[in-house]
Amino acid sequence: MPLLTRITSYSAKPALVGAWGVVTYAELGGLIAKARGALAQLKLDRPTAFGLVGEHGPASTAWLLALAEAGHFVAPLSGNAAEHPAKLALINAQWIVAAEAKEAKLLPRVDEPSAHPLFAQLAAQGAAGLVLFSSGTSGAPKAMVQDFGKLLASYASRHASSLSVLALLGFDHIGGLNTLFGALAAGAPVVVPVSRAPADVAAAIARHRVAVLPASPTFLNLLLAAGVTADLTSLRVITYGTEPMPESLLARLKATFPQVRFIQTFGTSETGITLTVSPEPGSTFLRFEDLHLEWKVVDDELWLRSRTQIAGYLNASNERFTDDGWFRTGDKVEQGPNGTLRILGRMSEMINVGGEKLMPAEVESVVLGVPGVDDCRVRGEAHPLTGQTVAVDVVSFTTDQEALRSAIRIACRERLARHKIPTRVTFVPSVSGERMKKTR
Amino acid sequence: MLTREQALALVIRRLAALGRELGKPALEKADAQTRLFGEAAALDSIGLVTLIADLEEDIRVATGKTVTLADEKAMSRLTSPFRRVDLLAEYVVEITRN
Repeated sequence: MPLLTRITSYSAKPALVGAWGVVTYAELGGLIAKARGALAQLKLDRPTAFGLVGEHGPASTAWLLALAEAGHFVAPLSGNAAEHPAKLALINAQWIVAAEAKEAKLLPRVDEPSAHPLFAQLAAQGAAGLVLFSSGTSGAPKAMVQDFGKLLASYASRHASSLSVLALLGFDHIGGLNTLFGALAAGAPVVVPVSRAPADVAAAIARHRVAVLPASPTFLNLLLAAGVTADLTSLRVITYGTEPMPESLLARLKATFPQVRFIQTFGTSETGITLTVSPEPGSTFLRFEDLHLEWKVVDDELWLRSRTQIAGYLNASNERFTDDGWFRTGDKVEQGPNGTLRILGRMSEMINVGGEKLMPAEVESVVLGVPGVDDCRVRGEAHPLTGQTVAVDVVSFTTDQEALRSAIRIACRERLARHKIPTRVTFVPSVSGERMKKTR
Repeated sequence: MLTREQALALVIRRLAALGRELGKPALEKADAQTRLFGEAAALDSIGLVTLIADLEEDIRVATGKTVTLADEKAMSRLTSPFRRVDLLAEYVVEITRN
């Protein structure tokens, strides 16, 4: 595998930095060899399903790559095995690898091999399989299977880099794996924080002089709201994706981190993470710059077709894929000049106020810019007068909620069309999850 | 429970605040006879929805009760409680009594 060759070539450079200390690329190579040896001892005579349980770390990375190399099927799962009985049953994992820091334990689970046709199809092609689960915000998590070798090969053309990258998104998330594989292919250090709390992330950035922070707008807003005092001057690039970036938040981020370049990424678990460029600095528009990806807009919805897209789902129909391989993302987009796009939100989140439509993100952007608002979520609420109405949940420590409610409405009136002004403003202790939570 | 006078004061105070938020100073001079919604009325549909949402919050703060002012029951009344300030205040009294 070209990625393994690259890893070996980076020898003494730091590869994974975290609670375990620093593991170099040479040491990571050693851990991969150890995993390879343990796999050989199992004397498996066919491609086998594995649950790989743990967090970002040397052993979990080594096992992931060793399983890919040997042509097995692997589902990376965050936490411990007891948290994932349904997922392990769904892939019919024969073995569980429990990884922690530099150590891994192999535990047998069931004897019978998985009979799923998707696994059989990959096995017939001699391909390894990576299984990722959707977040399952609407119903059971969907198990997405992709050709693992093809995915890893897509990182083969990365330029070498020594800029350390923080792994914020999980080991069980396409974004987290994209960070990991991208950094390993470039020979860069991957820094793993002790938790995803803003203070812990800031401490890891300061301590290890992290240069690249891939994050979501929600996390970046929390980072600003937390008022961390750690030295973040090592940051050079912040990439953001998974949800729309409110323009007001981007402006505050640029003011707080003047030395940082902000780059938008775009990805779906189905089609992989895609490189994009901004037409100009600070723009919330993006343009796809990926030879492996085709895109088009159908009825305001973004459709993608990529070389690294999933082979299918273990537990769902392929209805979001067309017969000729296009994936309907469910993201509503606006087209700008010269092939640029702006992600407006999920089609399913569109709010219809008496026939006039809006996306939560444009209102959230204005509300977030009101002094005293720490975070917010906008949603549609059924209403007998207008069909739906705009409601906003606001997190704030203000002692005068009445005045803040007025300030929010006035700011919205100044910047938004009439039907977009929130009619219901509710103060809540916290808002859950990411803004524009994915339901794919 | 709220008296008619209390409810009237609540609605008028809320209308004044809404007038400031929506840039409609006329609302700050509202009284019991002010037309809310419909012909020659002070509010459009979104203004009315906003007034209702804020009033529901005011009622919750004043009485501890969570009420829904705009529902099918209210909409299907012969005399809409949303037509005039006094009618809305009387509806507030009625709904907080239960």
